[in-house]
Amino acid sequence: MTGAFSTATIAAGLVIAVWAAIYLVMKRPVDRPLQIAQLVLAGMFVVLAIGGIVQMLGTDREFARAEFVGYLLLSPLIPVGAWWWSKNDKSRAGSGVVLVIGLVMPVLVVRIQQVWAGV
Amino acid sequence: MSESRSTPTNQGFGRVLVVIYAIFAIGATSRSVIQIVGRFEEAPVAYSLSAFAAVVYIVATVSLARGDQASRTVAYVAIGIEMAGVLIVGAASVAFPSAFPDATVWSNFGGGYLFIPLVLPIIGLWWLRRSTPEDAAAR
Repeated sequence: MTGAFSTATIAAGLVIAVWAAIYLVMKRPVDRPLQIAQLVLAGMFVVLAIGGIVQMLGTDREFARAEFVGYLLLSPLIPVGAWWWSKNDKSRAGSGVVLVIGLVMPVLVVRIQQVWAGV
Repeated sequence: MSESRSTPTNQGFGRVLVVIYAIFAIGATSRSVIQIVGRFEEAPVAYSLSAFAAVVYIVATVSLARGDQASRTVAYVAIGIEMAGVLIVGAASVAFPSAFPDATVWSNFGGGYLFIPLVLPIIGLWWLRRSTPEDAAAR
């Protein structure tokens, strides 16, 4: 949960945020590569969820398990929702949507790691 | 008002606003489900308010996303309640901290969430004033 893969999900979110921010400044709408990037990010959160739940089942340490699973299961749905909400937008607002998601997802990973650590 | 400057509620900046509301709706709902199912008796006032806030965020998200005339009225009411909620609960949590053993989204004026809960309704109301109903813009 605190390994290289979760760091990669944080990095991926930030890359998407920077990417979307550039589009926003250039007044460009979301294009296909950025749409695919959002779905890749969602896929990474599916992997993170599976890995996290497997790790959780492998330990009997005390932490907020329900909260942990809730975060893990809901998190992939957020980039999917943003993908759907931004792809129908022909203005640069779609890029703004992706920027928000790119910033929120890394925060979510940190929050999941806090729950895992028992904070 | 010139037509080119008026944006439908659910377009342009409105799309970004909907996403921010959606994140608060998802966050507040899941948090309050866990609080109420898991440990309601620990802080019934705070957890009831969390659930109430969650409903307000859901209604605001959906009505902003729909953006037609009727939905805009609903959005005004929901965001107005949100504004009042964050101010009243924020003030109450500062004045009577013992009533809030655990935090709600609106405690301390949303300070646990970078004060976004305090700023969000202001931006929401500003956007409702500035934008136009979707059906009017389509005409």
